[in-house]
Amino acid sequence: MTDVRCGVAIVNPKPDHRGKNALRLARAVVFKYGLLAVLLMMIFSFSYMQPFFRTFTNAMFILEAAAIVAVIGLGCTISMTVGGFDLSVGASMSLSVMVASAAMVEFNLDGPVAILLGVLAGVVVGLLNTALIVRARIPDLVATLASMFLVNGLTLIGVSGQSVAEGMLVNGEQATGVFAPIFKWLGSGSFFNVPASVIVSGLVFIVVYVLLNLTRWGRAFYAVGGNPIAAAAVGIRVQKYRALAYIISGSLAAIAGLLLAARSNRGDVGVGDAYLLQAVSAALVGFAVLGANKANAFGTLIGAVFVATLINGLTMFNFPYYAQNVVQGALLVVALLMSYTLGPKRR
Amino acid sequence: MSVSYYPRSGDRVSPETPVALVQIRDLRKRFGATTALDGVSFDVDRGETLGLLGANGAGKSTLIKILAGLQPASSGDILIEGVIRQIDNPVQARDFGMVTVHQNIDDGVIFGMTVAENLLLDQFAVEAGNPFVTKRHIFREAEKILDELGIDLPLRSMVEDLPASGRQEVAIARALVKKPKLLVLDEPTSTLSAREAERLFDSVQSMQGRGISVLYVSHRMSEVERLCRRAVVLRNGRVVSTYNSPLDTKAIANSILGDLAISTKHEVRVGADIVFEGKGLRTASDSVPFDVQFRRGEVVGITGLVGAGKTEFLEQVFGVRPLISGQMTLEGNTYRPRDAAEALKLGVAMVPEERAMQSIFPTETLIKHCSIGRLDNFSRAGFMDRRGEHQFATEVIERFRVNCSGATAEIESLSGGNQQKLLVGRWLADPRSVLILDEPFRGIDIGARGGISAALREFSKNSAVVVSSSDPEEVIEVADRVLVMVEGRIVCEVVSNELTPEEFVEIMSARRKPGERWRIEEHENDDRRSLRGRDREPEA
Repeated sequence: MTDVRCGVAIVNPKPDHRGKNALRLARAVVFKYGLLAVLLMMIFSFSYMQPFFRTFTNAMFILEAAAIVAVIGLGCTISMTVGGFDLSVGASMSLSVMVASAAMVEFNLDGPVAILLGVLAGVVVGLLNTALIVRARIPDLVATLASMFLVNGLTLIGVSGQSVAEGMLVNGEQATGVFAPIFKWLGSGSFFNVPASVIVSGLVFIVVYVLLNLTRWGRAFYAVGGNPIAAAAVGIRVQKYRALAYIISGSLAAIAGLLLAARSNRGDVGVGDAYLLQAVSAALVGFAVLGANKANAFGTLIGAVFVATLINGLTMFNFPYYAQNVVQGALLVVALLMSYTLGPKRR
Repeated sequence: MSVSYYPRSGDRVSPETPVALVQIRDLRKRFGATTALDGVSFDVDRGETLGLLGANGAGKSTLIKILAGLQPASSGDILIEGVIRQIDNPVQARDFGMVTVHQNIDDGVIFGMTVAENLLLDQFAVEAGNPFVTKRHIFREAEKILDELGIDLPLRSMVEDLPASGRQEVAIARALVKKPKLLVLDEPTSTLSAREAERLFDSVQSMQGRGISVLYVSHRMSEVERLCRRAVVLRNGRVVSTYNSPLDTKAIANSILGDLAISTKHEVRVGADIVFEGKGLRTASDSVPFDVQFRRGEVVGITGLVGAGKTEFLEQVFGVRPLISGQMTLEGNTYRPRDAAEALKLGVAMVPEERAMQSIFPTETLIKHCSIGRLDNFSRAGFMDRRGEHQFATEVIERFRVNCSGATAEIESLSGGNQQKLLVGRWLADPRSVLILDEPFRGIDIGARGGISAALREFSKNSAVVVSSSDPEEVIEVADRVLVMVEGRIVCEVVSNELTPEEFVEIMSARRKPGERWRIEEHENDDRRSLRGRDREPEA
């Protein structure tokens, strides 16, 4: 609310400008609450037209669909707060899927160990990005593009281009390992009827939200992204935070990979690719939530839920699956238009 | 001449009488609550070189931006050859015959291109004719331009390989390609050494021969005295006086500063114990090393031309630039910060030169700007103390009378002067050994400047404050002791009230030999590299 007041306070209160002021106020309100209002309107109208839409079960379907995108999107959000961009999240995700699946199926390791190895895989990708971006000073976009291809390629070689599933053939013999119980729970378990993946992504959201909004490290992340030179001049170790951002981004992508592996009970090659763009678009839609105009945790969550709600609702009305991309694209265009045309003018 | 009715854009006013080339009529410009131009009117005659003088924040740069089409005026008219013109963008300004060479030379040239390509930039921008350009064509065309202008430039050199004056000549030549009626030069000598300045003066004088009017904008009296027969003085957004040849420099100086000239007098203090000491420091790997000391209880001023090495020196002290050579001590201990974070921890803070580029986090609030450098004070176990930082920001705002709508305002809604008050004020809450301010008064109004100066003098009671500026007046105003840098080293140090600004300018631009009235810092390990334009041996 305060921001809206500030925006108006600058305007000269001349009588002949009253119409202009009203317009500005309207713009400020739309800029801030527009996307949330559209989301609420959508939920209400779907609920009105289709009673099943407003059931708890369906709400959980929606959140389950949003969960994985939200987790990767939150990773992208952190890399965006330091002014970077992580194209390798899809690759981190694929790698962690394969590492965790192979650890259990091929090497008979326990669930927790497999989870640890999966997350570690994401950390390794984060470290690779750090080496390229912070050490070698390669621009973020180019560096993570390179590591995306490299990691995807290495993943494929590691599993000889095959999916990893229980009972698969390894060197002509059937693998004896199985997906651990904890994976079964992650994939299909629930807690008070809330699916496990929704709980995990909720926890990830809380951690990222607190980190970015309530801690000094969050301030430092945003300062580095806002103006790295100024950040260095006030004593923030810019490179440290950029490294940290890519490591967190890689780890969150890996966690998303574990959720996906658990859901499908197998490690499919290249599953992460499809999630990269969805996650990035959730983070970008998030710019338009509450007038943040920058990457933020709550916005990314809304971005992920928005898409899931829209597609869930449209599917109930027999909306063809092949038109989903159009819906997602349109949403992104609208959100970007809001951020860039209604927001305060930037130089 | 006065206009009796309000004509529309394009109307011709009194076609019979010969009118001045450019007439500025009651030009006003407001930024939010601040008034940058408050009814400015003056004429530029055909073929004349008119001096436009004023201190930082007087409104010169706003006026230039309006003439260049970079900003619209709030009200008032600009008449070109008697016709009211609305200048909406730089291309229009050019079409009306007004071309501006801005203060920052490197904004006027494009790096990574040859001199020839730079001269032809405006042809590239025209979307007509043959779309193919060959190297041969470029050099042939560029040579034609140089022949026409009668100047000599190394066409095949890359622009970035030229010295500052060379780049400026390229920028001026580019301006002349457009066949302007009025050439606006904004602080053209601020990066030039004495000899380079001479070349500039020659080319300005040659403009008269070409029938081109020049609006020579500067705060250096000596240049205006030499080049202009008429001078207009701006202060607080108004034309306070107009002078005709012979220019009375003393009257002009008083007119530029107004009441400020008296209010800035302060007692000169001698510092106490040495807080910071540097030995054998350099500003470039091939520059002459120098020693320097900062004492508790003094404000040290550092002045020198743009490019004299002030920033390079200070950034090494603050740890954001690697130390080239020598040793530093802070409070008696060896001091060699790896980065700004370490320097801050050890008690050295710096307000950088480029506010927008190096200090401002766009779209962030005043609160966040105040607390970002003191996160330790405002967090417990990593969690931010939001009430604490809000209170701190409010204190800074009140203490420095920062004009804003509140602590939650975005920093960019403030004027430059108010931004600077906040950015300086936030460092004054903690005790520090050394506080460095690089060009703290650039682009801020005189009122803000006075407030900051007073706060700095107060703060310096318990620490060493270092203020650097290419304008000696700004330094004299606040400092007890002034160091002058020329070509990458400190050439002399003076008690601040011993020399006039003009004398400082002469030393800075190496037009005057350091004499007996000040101590000369000479070093055993001098490599005796000869400086251009003067004999380096001090007078006995």
